Amino acid sequence: MTSVKAQAIPTSAERTTRQGRRQVSDRTIAQLFIWPTLILLIAMNVFPLFYSLYLSFNDYSVIANQPPQWVALENYEEILTNGRARYWHNFTVTGRYAALSVGLQILIGFGLAMLLREKFKGSGFITTLILIPMMLSPVVVGLFWKLIFDPSKGFFNYLIYLNPRAGDQWLSDPTLSLWSIVIVDVWMWSPFVMLLVLSGLSAIPNYLYEAAAIDRASAWFQFRRITLPQVMPLLLIAVLFRTIEAFKAFDVVMGLTGGGPGDTTETVAVRLYSEAFLGKFNTGESGALAYIVLIIIIAISNLYIRALNRAGGD
Amino acid sequence: MAEIQLLQVEKKFGEVHAVKPMDLTVHDGEFVVLLGPSGCGKTTTLRMISGLETTTSGTILLNGRDVTWAHPSERDIAFVFQFFALYSHMTARQNIAFPLQAQGESKETVNQRVAEVSRLLQIEHILDARPGALSGGDQQRVALARALVRRPAAFLMDEPLGALDADFRETMRAEIKRLHIDNQATTVYVTHDQIEAMAMGDRIVVMSAAAVQQVGTPTEIYHDPASLFVARFIGSPGMNLVTGRYHGGQVHLPDCGAYTVPPQWIAPLNTAFGDDGDVILGFRPEAAQVTPQGALSATVYASDLHGSYTMLHLELCDQTIVHVRSSRQSSHPIGTAVQFDLDPAMVRFFDPATEAAIVPEVRA
Repeated sequence: MTSVKAQAIPTSAERTTRQGRRQVSDRTIAQLFIWPTLILLIAMNVFPLFYSLYLSFNDYSVIANQPPQWVALENYEEILTNGRARYWHNFTVTGRYAALSVGLQILIGFGLAMLLREKFKGSGFITTLILIPMMLSPVVVGLFWKLIFDPSKGFFNYLIYLNPRAGDQWLSDPTLSLWSIVIVDVWMWSPFVMLLVLSGLSAIPNYLYEAAAIDRASAWFQFRRITLPQVMPLLLIAVLFRTIEAFKAFDVVMGLTGGGPGDTTETVAVRLYSEAFLGKFNTGESGALAYIVLIIIIAISNLYIRALNRAGGD
Repeated sequence: MAEIQLLQVEKKFGEVHAVKPMDLTVHDGEFVVLLGPSGCGKTTTLRMISGLETTTSGTILLNGRDVTWAHPSERDIAFVFQFFALYSHMTARQNIAFPLQAQGESKETVNQRVAEVSRLLQIEHILDARPGALSGGDQQRVALARALVRRPAAFLMDEPLGALDADFRETMRAEIKRLHIDNQATTVYVTHDQIEAMAMGDRIVVMSAAAVQQVGTPTEIYHDPASLFVARFIGSPGMNLVTGRYHGGQVHLPDCGAYTVPPQWIAPLNTAFGDDGDVILGFRPEAAQVTPQGALSATVYASDLHGSYTMLHLELCDQTIVHVRSSRQSSHPIGTAVQFDLDPAMVRFFDPATEAAIVPEVRA
């Protein structure tokens, strides 16, 4: 008896929904939701991607009022031969910057994570405070660190020197300018590494440390043989993300030094920007440069991902 | 090799006792099983011996040395965890080598000892697999190998077979017992499985409600339970317990007639109750025989065939059910009235007020 009732009620309800669905099928609804996004993606990402690839094989400038002229690999040749010295400089600056800032971020982020690993009173609040730099806009960060680094008005020198008047001109000293960008990037992104490592650390089951204590492992041995390998997959993800970001370093650099003094802090991204938009509007060649950078980033990412699979996989 | 001594060892979590003050000596080479239902404090006791848990008060001696506040690594003990606690990112071989490498042993020693212990446990073929790829039994073998490889003074095992399938459990039980016999290493073993405890222990420590109920050999625990708890907990089913009134050398069961107390028990019962008092009569299922001459009467409530024997569930007149083992040939249809008798050597008495067993004078 109950089963008859239970069947009867949903059937009438089902009928109305079925009629409603007959007009617009599930598939149509799905497509209605997907297509606006797809169109936007194609217009804003996919088309520019391929159009810039096409332009990289052309002699073209957006302000020249002339149609693109097919020159095949000439732009690439130009970058790799005549322009090589200065482009190579851009790449070494980027490489040094990436190595220094990612290295320091890993050290500091890992250190902070180890300190915040044990819960104590106020540890949640402190974690939130540490995460604040990450939430700020890079341009704003660049601008206010410019003030902080300022030798006469900024307080950076007051913090690190006994005699701040003899302090350094961080942003205009050619040897220190790259370091000042590294400092800002480390300040901003170490919390990101900390966050990833912290989640990795909290996933290590406590019984592994109990077993290690029984096995008479010293604290250092436990860190090296248990903590580090267990966190490694997440650490590598942090390194991967930060390296890709470092290769694209633009906003903080522009905000702080604009690539100067001279070209001492001119990263590839800054150079790309100046080729494409400042004065020359050298669209074809900058397209070629952008593709070279893309290939390098893909190559580096693949190396990391391979390491990641090795660290995490059976 | 080692002797472990607990002197008034106690553990409190806040105001709650996890382990009430207990004394225990585990002799050199002995296999002692801590047995009890979950939450009785047996694992906490084991973890205090290992140093993974601090004590609230009391002293733990290892070979006479006070290790109450020593770090686990300073105690020279190995611990086998219920859920193996293998290092998931290392192969079985690296897991086993870990305790040796942690002590900075040379590569040759490590390789040689790992080879030795894996031959002993027959896990040579799985040495290059990671724990995640191994079966539960193999994981526990690797964990045992990791414990054995260091040649510790004592082994502590926390329900090592608890996470294994039933058929594996019996194989591993035999393996662990064999290992113990071969190495004669002092072992403290925690389990909630009384069959495991009976099969493996030289001595069993029965715990309940954070306190030690009884310490004794499996035979003692089974035949002479010190309290009603032990009587009920050990054996499947546990000891039959029937409340009656002791008077004039007889236990009067409510409306069921009287059971004449065997002569050797009259004096102890008189000391305990005078000539009149409530008493609990206890007997194991195998202590009862169904015979027409039996002094006690009951009705068959149910009967299950257990292969080699039949377990009869008999209902006494006050609706207490007792379990009686009978031969598999005899058939007793449900509802028939039967008479049964008790083996006088296997009858025990308990005081319902204190829940403790009445001790016969011979052993008192």
